[in-house]
Amino acid sequence: MVALCLDDGEMPTFHEDDVREAQKLVEDMDDSVLISDILDKRPRANETIENVVIVDNIPVTDSSKLVKLTNVLLKIFSKCGKVDSHHIPLDENNKTKGFMFIVYKNGQEATNAISSCNGYKLDKNHCFAVNRLSDFEHCMSIPEKWEEPKPEPYKPQVNLKSWLCDPECFDQFAIVHGKNRNTAVHACGPNQSFPVQQREFWTESHVKFSPKGSYLATCHKQGIALWGGPDFSKVGRFNHHNVTYFQFSPCERYFVTYSKTSLSPEDPQNLIIWETRSCLNKRAFSLPVLNYWPYFKWSHDGQYFATITGDNLSIYSTPSMKLLDNKKISVQNIRDFSWCPCENWIAYWQSENKDIPARVTIMSVPHCEPLSAKNLFNVSNIEIFWQNSGNYLAVKVDRTIKNKKESENVFEIFRLREKDIPVENFEIKSKVMSLSWDPKGPRFAVIQGEQGRTDVSFFKIGEKILPIGKTLTNKKCNCIKWSPLGQYCVLAGLNNISFDGVLEFWDIGGDAPTLMNEASHFMVTNIAWDPTGRYVCSSNTYGGHSVENGYNMWNFQGSKVFEASLEGFIQFQWRPRPPTLLREKDIKDVKKNMKSYTRDFEIKDKLSQSKASKELIEKRRAVYDEFMTYRRKKEKDLEVLKLQYSELRTEVVEEEYVEETVEFFMKEEVEPASKE
Amino acid sequence: MKPILLQAHERSLTKILYNKDGDLLFTASKHNLPNVWWSINGERLGTYNGHNGAIWDMAVSSDSTQLLTASADQSCIIWDSETGKILHQMAAKSPVRSCGFSLTNNILCFTTDKAMNQPCFIKFYDLRDKEQVATNSPFRDIQIEDSKVNRMIWGTVEDYVITGHENGQICQYDWKTGERLRVDHSHDALIKDLQLSKDRTMLITASKDTTAKLFDAKTFQFLKSYKTDRPVNSAAVSPIKHHILLGGGQEAMEVTTSHTKSGKFEARFFHLIFEEEIGRVKGHFGPINTLAFHPNGKQYSSGAEDGYVRIHDFDQSYYDFEYDF
Repeated sequence: MVALCLDDGEMPTFHEDDVREAQKLVEDMDDSVLISDILDKRPRANETIENVVIVDNIPVTDSSKLVKLTNVLLKIFSKCGKVDSHHIPLDENNKTKGFMFIVYKNGQEATNAISSCNGYKLDKNHCFAVNRLSDFEHCMSIPEKWEEPKPEPYKPQVNLKSWLCDPECFDQFAIVHGKNRNTAVHACGPNQSFPVQQREFWTESHVKFSPKGSYLATCHKQGIALWGGPDFSKVGRFNHHNVTYFQFSPCERYFVTYSKTSLSPEDPQNLIIWETRSCLNKRAFSLPVLNYWPYFKWSHDGQYFATITGDNLSIYSTPSMKLLDNKKISVQNIRDFSWCPCENWIAYWQSENKDIPARVTIMSVPHCEPLSAKNLFNVSNIEIFWQNSGNYLAVKVDRTIKNKKESENVFEIFRLREKDIPVENFEIKSKVMSLSWDPKGPRFAVIQGEQGRTDVSFFKIGEKILPIGKTLTNKKCNCIKWSPLGQYCVLAGLNNISFDGVLEFWDIGGDAPTLMNEASHFMVTNIAWDPTGRYVCSSNTYGGHSVENGYNMWNFQGSKVFEASLEGFIQFQWRPRPPTLLREKDIKDVKKNMKSYTRDFEIKDKLSQSKASKELIEKRRAVYDEFMTYRRKKEKDLEVLKLQYSELRTEVVEEEYVEETVEFFMKEEVEPASKE
Repeated sequence: MKPILLQAHERSLTKILYNKDGDLLFTASKHNLPNVWWSINGERLGTYNGHNGAIWDMAVSSDSTQLLTASADQSCIIWDSETGKILHQMAAKSPVRSCGFSLTNNILCFTTDKAMNQPCFIKFYDLRDKEQVATNSPFRDIQIEDSKVNRMIWGTVEDYVITGHENGQICQYDWKTGERLRVDHSHDALIKDLQLSKDRTMLITASKDTTAKLFDAKTFQFLKSYKTDRPVNSAAVSPIKHHILLGGGQEAMEVTTSHTKSGKFEARFFHLIFEEEIGRVKGHFGPINTLAFHPNGKQYSSGAEDGYVRIHDFDQSYYDFEYDF
């Protein structure tokens, strides 16, 4: 402002020094500072070059037909956008040179013109070649000599498997709690856990480990971030706003995200399959309504993924991300399907339709040949339960029984590894709530009955299906969790206050189930076995209620290892391990020589325990000393204070206690006076 | 440890208090009748009849002759503790929240709620000047502009009072000048209770933010923090051991919707120095609102939302327990 006033020369009242100062100010500043906003609007040489297209192969005519030609050409090219200006160069004979320039209003229109008019046939001899002027320049400016591109310097990638090299072989777990979404990864030791990594606001909702434990996925508004390596450094991210669901493929090679928000406004695709390593979008789908999650079910090795679309089963294969044989498989009335956990087999079922019975089919992929099938009648619902090793498939069939309140459950057990796949029929009288397979052995457990009055029975598949011991009656439980190594399982009453959070640890290895221990974790909401089957974590998360949130760690026999109380506890997840590399034989050898190993481990445990308690005591000692130093300092002040007290007290302070006797009225008994 | 159960209050307890000798236990509740009991056997000596509203706070003079009660009926009463006669009744314009005698029993202080279009006041009366109580004219009024005072106690010596506020701050006010000497913002929710250690050098706070904190009463130097998973309603320091006693639990209004087991109504002992929990005492079926140690440290009492007071004499095992360090 000062500078402007001076230019007008109307402010002679300024002191001379001020004027000089102000002039200096003006000299110091150049136009870019003073009128930067105006300069920004200045036209630039390169600004419109994107709008210019060059059209080859226009007819060569003399000037007499030029006007007519111009009109024809402009009529064609103004279809693609508004033509700002055009130029048809002429040679010395006033003939056109066979090409012209057209300037459009903006680059987009020029792009339209290139895409729609390139190859336009005006007549037999004239086929337009439309190109952007800048492309010509680009082509012209290619250097004569080819230079070998320099190799990118090698960037070492973090070791995603580093956690498996832990000498103590501790399993890790992730927890999320508190308002700040405190996220931590802990290693679970024999009597306490050690934090490996702790961060605030690491995620905005929850976290998820990949199926083999290599990655930790955190959820954010912008999308998903992947972390890995010894320090949990960022190893990837998927930009997908407001992700609501996400899923790893079992092989960890692919990652699926779903959000109501699509990638871009023009593009309605909102379910995306990414490649984990490169974080590239491999295939996207548009799903206006998501009825269930996971939308895709993956085969165990990540080779295929499938979903039901109407009366079709769509199986896609990787890495092409295309439909298997480029077509959907038509399956009338398909209701549900499930992949075998270790083979590329699909089991699906179709519901009854008029005269066609319901049908369960097991099909091999990619040949799509049915391995086995069974027709069923009067079916209301079917549930499919694969055994982990793929040896057996249990199909729970709910029948509609007319005029009967009691429902009966029939299981069809398919023995997939035996010749011709025999199917056995197996009936349970009362209502079945759930069935769960022993992950390693030919055993399964069934919870039956009504809520609150449940019985649990165990069965073994041999020649025949036989119960293991007696049915356990009146159990306060609604959930069975088998150890990943089989044999052991936990019965728990989840999410229900009337169960008192009962946890029962059972051994099903023998002829009859044996109860190893009974415990309780009040208001327990989740049970999770660690991947090695050593520990069980019972957690009580914030979901339902805010009291006593936290988790308890138990060993497989049901004795408590440690507990933690966390306010606003949101999530607990064990870090999965990749499948073992040991052969069957090696495992057998380890089991045989168990005794020699146990001794070593026991010594190790004792050492670490005594070390820990020593450390704790030292720490306490330090805290104690620190506090006592403070107290000693205070004691000196106290002497002064005592003087002050006695000065303030006007009454005589009796330091000696006076003995007082207080009599209490204890009991009154009235005895009637005798009349004698 | 078999407690003595005192059943006299029809409503939830707000304050329990031992006198200096420890032979008497005063209890007050949201019902309008405070009681006094023998602490040794729980025999009731009498009630103080005169208030028309909930009693929020009580204080007893060091010679045990006078009892002071703060009530929601917008008055503060000085009682003859032996006879239960009203000596003076001081009216306020809003409910009286907290009250106390100074160390010499010369100055009386009470605080009023920010309610009924009245700001929160801290009022001081000099008892040596009989006019002040008789005519209800305090010699000093401190108006609190920001967050209201929920608890007030006298400081280490006679020169200041400590106030715990609704927003979690604790302050020191000089009654001679009316000045605010110190503020501390360690807590971020309502201060439910303030108590001094026996030698009056340490201050323990109990807050709704689920922690209790130990400060130097004079300098407000932060010493220790005791973290729980529930709002802490009351906290006390043991006179003989390095123990802290905490009481609390869910908010009263949430209690009915959950299981008794989940209410967390136990009294919890923490180690004063190591900040670790060392024991729990079950018994109440409502959150504990107020706790007090017997001056000899061999007994403690708790008063809860359930309307009961429980007097606990410690067993021998309590004295035998030693912490490893």
